[in-house]
This record gives sequence, C-alpha cells and structure tokens, in this order.
Amino acid sequence: MKVLVVEDEKGLAESITDYMSKEGYLCETASTFREADERIFLYNYDCVIVDLTLPDGDGFQIIQTLKKLLATTGVIIISARNSLEDKIRGLEIGSDDYLTKPFHLSELNARVKSLIRRRNFGGHTEIRFKEIVVNPLARKVYVNGQLTVLSRKEYDLLLYFLSNIDVVLTKVSIAEHLWGDNIDSADSLDMVYSHIKNLRRKLLEKGGSDYLRSVYGIGYKFGES
Amino acid sequence: MKLLAKTNRIYLAFSLVIYLFAGLAFYQVVRFLIYKEVESRLRVERLDFENYIQIHRAWSDSTYFIENKIDVVPAGSSVQKAEMFIDTLIRNRYDNELMPFRQLTFYTTIQGKMHRVAIRKSLIQSYQLIEVITVTMAACLGLLLLGTFWFQGKLSGRLWHPFYETLSRIKRFNLASATPLQLDKPEINEFRELNEVLRKMGDKMQQDYRSLKEFTENASHEIQTPLALINAKVEQLIQSEKLTETQTRWIEDIYQASRRMARLNQGLLLLAKIENQQFTHNQTIDLAALLAEKLDDMEEVLHHKRLSVQSQNNIPFEVQLPMPLAESLVMNLVNNAIKHNYPDGRLELVSDGNQLWLGNTGSPLTTNPERLFERFKKEGSGPDSVGLGLAIIKEICDNYGLRIRYEEHNGWHRFCISRKPEEA
Repeated sequence: MKVLVVEDEKGLAESITDYMSKEGYLCETASTFREADERIFLYNYDCVIVDLTLPDGDGFQIIQTLKKLLATTGVIIISARNSLEDKIRGLEIGSDDYLTKPFHLSELNARVKSLIRRRNFGGHTEIRFKEIVVNPLARKVYVNGQLTVLSRKEYDLLLYFLSNIDVVLTKVSIAEHLWGDNIDSADSLDMVYSHIKNLRRKLLEKGGSDYLRSVYGIGYKFGES
Repeated sequence: MKLLAKTNRIYLAFSLVIYLFAGLAFYQVVRFLIYKEVESRLRVERLDFENYIQIHRAWSDSTYFIENKIDVVPAGSSVQKAEMFIDTLIRNRYDNELMPFRQLTFYTTIQGKMHRVAIRKSLIQSYQLIEVITVTMAACLGLLLLGTFWFQGKLSGRLWHPFYETLSRIKRFNLASATPLQLDKPEINEFRELNEVLRKMGDKMQQDYRSLKEFTENASHEIQTPLALINAKVEQLIQSEKLTETQTRWIEDIYQASRRMARLNQGLLLLAKIENQQFTHNQTIDLAALLAEKLDDMEEVLHHKRLSVQSQNNIPFEVQLPMPLAESLVMNLVNNAIKHNYPDGRLELVSDGNQLWLGNTGSPLTTNPERLFERFKKEGSGPDSVGLGLAIIKEICDNYGLRIRYEEHNGWHRFCISRKPEEA
C-alpha cells in the first residue's frame, strides 16, 4: 500500500509518515505543490493525503490532476480551513474525506484504512484480529465464531481500535471519533469509559482475550502487548 | 426637536412680537394724527364762535342743522376757566345709537354772564378710518408673516438638505459592509468639508475594521497548523513505553491545553466568519425541529447525565439561516443546556411559532445575566469550556434578524429566540 502525504509543515508530515509506516504503509512525502505534481505523474498511490494550502499552489489542483490520471486513488484532504464550501468542493472533485486540523493521527489512520478497504475490496473484506472477526458491510462482529451483539457506539469503538492496533488512543480522540467535535468533553470522557467497559465485557463473555488496556490514564490501547 | 422646526418656531415668535408692536404703534400714531386734526378744527370753530358772539352779542340754539354741535349752558362764576378736550358719547337723534364725539369745553361771557360752551365734532368717520386702516394693515402684516414664514421654511429646507442627506447616509452606513461611505459634494463649503471629514473617517474605520477582522482570521488559521503539529507529536510521544507517570501527566496537560486552544481558535474563527458575513445561502430552517433532532442525537449524553427532556408537539419556528450556522446555533444551545444542568435535571423545548425557547434546570446564575453573552464569560468555569458558545449564539442571532433573550425563573434558565421586528 503506497501513501503520499502532501503537507508543507515538515514536522506534521513526518509524524504522519512515522505513524503510517508503523501500520505497514509505504509512505512518501511532498512538501510543495510542484513536488506533489511530479510524484503523482511518476508513481501510483493507493491513497493521497493532501493539505489544501501549499506555499506554491492549491491542493484542489493536485486532486483534480490525480483524478484524471488514476481515478481509483483515494484522497483525504487535511486542511486548517473548516469551511463547508471547501468540503463540498473537495467531494465534488472526487476526494473521499475531509479532516480539519488539528486532527488525531489515529483518526487519520482509521480513515485511510477504511478508505482503502472500500476502494480495494468494495468493503467485501473481513477485519480479523486473532479470534475477533468484523464484517464491515453487515456491521457484524464474531468472537470465536459466535455472533456478538454490540451497540452502534461499541461497534464504532471496536473498529477504531482494530484500525489502530497496539497504539495508544487518547480518550479525547476516542470521544471525538464517536461523537464528533461538537460534544462537551467532560461528559464524553465519562461515556467513553462506560462504552469501553461494556465492549470489554461483551468480548470477554464470548471467550475473547482481554486486549484492552488503559494507558497512564491518558488513553487506551488495543493489542496483545 | 428638528432643527428646522426650532428655527421656524423662534422666527415665528419673534416676528409676532415685532408685528404686534408695530401694529400697536401704527394705531397710536394714526389716532394721534386724527385727534390732532379734529382738535385743531375745534379750536378754529371756537374762534368762529367767539367772533359770532362779539358781532351778535348773543347766541341762539336755533342752528338746527348742526346736530348738537354747540352747546351753551350758563355757568356759575366759580368754575374753572381752562379749555378742555374730552371724548364723549352722544345719542343719535333718530336711531338712538351712541356716537363718539370729540368735545372742546371752554368758558366765555355772553351778555356779561359766564357760560360754559361745548363744541363737538363727530369722530365716527375717523373711527371708521382707523378701523379700515388697522384691518388692512393687519391683513398685510399677516400675509407678510405667512409669506416670509413659508419662504424661510423652503429656504432653510433647501439649505439644510445636504445635511439631512448626509445624516441619513451615515445612519445607513454599515461598518462591516464592503461599500464605502458615499457622500455628495454639496455647494456649501461647510457641508462639503463636513462630508469630506466624514468620508475620511468612514474609510479609516472600515479599513481598521477589515484589518482587525483579517488579522483575527489569519491568526486563527495560522494557529491551526502548529496545533496540529503539537497534537501529532503528543500522540507519537505517548506511544513510547518508557514514560513515567509524572511525564504522562505533563503530556496529558499539554495535550489538553492544545485541544482547548484548538476549540477556542475554532470558536473565534467562527465568530470572525459570522461577523464577516462569510456564510451565504440562507435557507428556511425549522429551528424547533432542528433542536428536537439535536436533542435526540444527544440522547446518550442526556441519559448519561440522567436528564429528561420535555418537548410537546411544537409549532415550527422557521428562520432564514445558512445551514452550518443553524447547526452551530442549535448545538451551542443544547450543549449549554446540558452543561449547566445538574444530574436528574430537566430540559424543556417550547415553540409557539413566534418564539422558541430551550430551558434547563440549573443552579442560580453567579455572573451578571447582562454580560452572559459576552466572549469568554464562563459560568462555573469548567476547564473544558472556552466561554464562546453563547457569544456565538448571540452573533448568529444578531446577524440574521433574530433576538436572543435570557431569563431565569423558578430555577429554570431559558434562552428565548424570537424574530426581530422588521426595521422600518
């Protein structure tokens, strides 16, 4: 899986690349419009992450060029501008998702994964982690082959964890993933806790191992280690 | 009071006094002249009378045609000798009407005996003359007064027209709009200078306003990227296994602070955008339905805080708003009502078509309700609140013809939205 990160802020580009590389993606970066333009002509990518404001050009143009060259490439826009017009325009010219800065790396990662899943397999793929199997199309979860009934939020939570295996997810990022930006955080952190508690209980009931760990009180980690 | 009304009033009062005074003086002068004329004629008649007495040595009252003209009465010797003019009324012989006369009384000796002689002259014609003159003059002065009053009104109306024009333009002037203050160049120097000064001031104000706005917006945008960087680095940092508990706490603090800053920044940016009127595409939105929908969405939070919602079949409350702002308005209202509630509290949504309110139970307000809608006013100051929610609500309402009102009643806190009456 090849991912191109078009972002002029070097530090941010580096963080994204690091994070994505750990997830097994092959990441390349472009910090200017020209560099990005060159790269999409030379190579094929599965997914391109584009910042809209670049020092020497407009991110929209890159997306337009990209869509002409290879329409199957997934596009995620990351922008400091939280404007509806930009979002609509992005969708119109063929981008798949829009994230407003500042965003969580885990959230970006989850979106890239789900995007690639949709693009490559039309969603007809199961997500497996040990004894847990998730069928994203039917939104069904099986543990040890047994159907496990999860609430909508618990399902979203599980999927978010499965997209970020062995990574510490902050409580805030989980809350924002589940409820969006608009919820008051004091309440949402409490609710995150109760959802995690329920999810863990339901997975354990079906004989799953306990993969959920609280980390330093700052967040949670899903994984073997 | 309007300037023109004021000058007109002063002018009218002043002219009235002058005209009254002039009329009175004129009347006195005419009267004086007529009396003088009559009296000199009476003196001449006295001479004629004395001449007649000297020649005829006697006086007979038989001069019939001269009505009451000369009256001779014998008098004692003790009486006063000086001649004297008086006004008197004498009955008309035929129709019994009283007629004004001027009478000269003097004493003279006829046939060795002292007599009092009164010579009279009718004033009826003179009075008629005075009357006619007075009426004519009053009419003329009245017409003159009305005429100058009308002329004065027209003139000052025209002279002050540029001033009123300027005034109305300034009233309509909108600091936030892109159109500069447009003023005429009137003939009159003072008004031209005034307009010049006002135009310069308007331009300067608009420029300052714009640059302030741009600054806020640019600053907010520029802040987003470093914040994204901080977030990303913190997220990477916490992946490390070797952190001590203290370090984690520091990191958590950094993380929280950066999240808060991001929220704050987004709030300020939204406010700047609303002020700049960057949201277009108004649509008809039923706020009551949208609020009910939002409350449904928040069911989980409501359940978590054990809040119950009362919302009976509400009448739609339709407003013209851009969708993102309607969302923001509704969200901030709901969040506010939830945040300042206590566990097991209640919420109520009521709409009667003319106004819409969302009420919540909660502890009494500690800050001044008047200042509730100001930026960074925090009630209870939770660490997560940035204090912009109500400011955003107010800004949206102010910019889209709505009015937001806060009221506290029996432990209920209500935020009422109503339509602003159409401006005349």
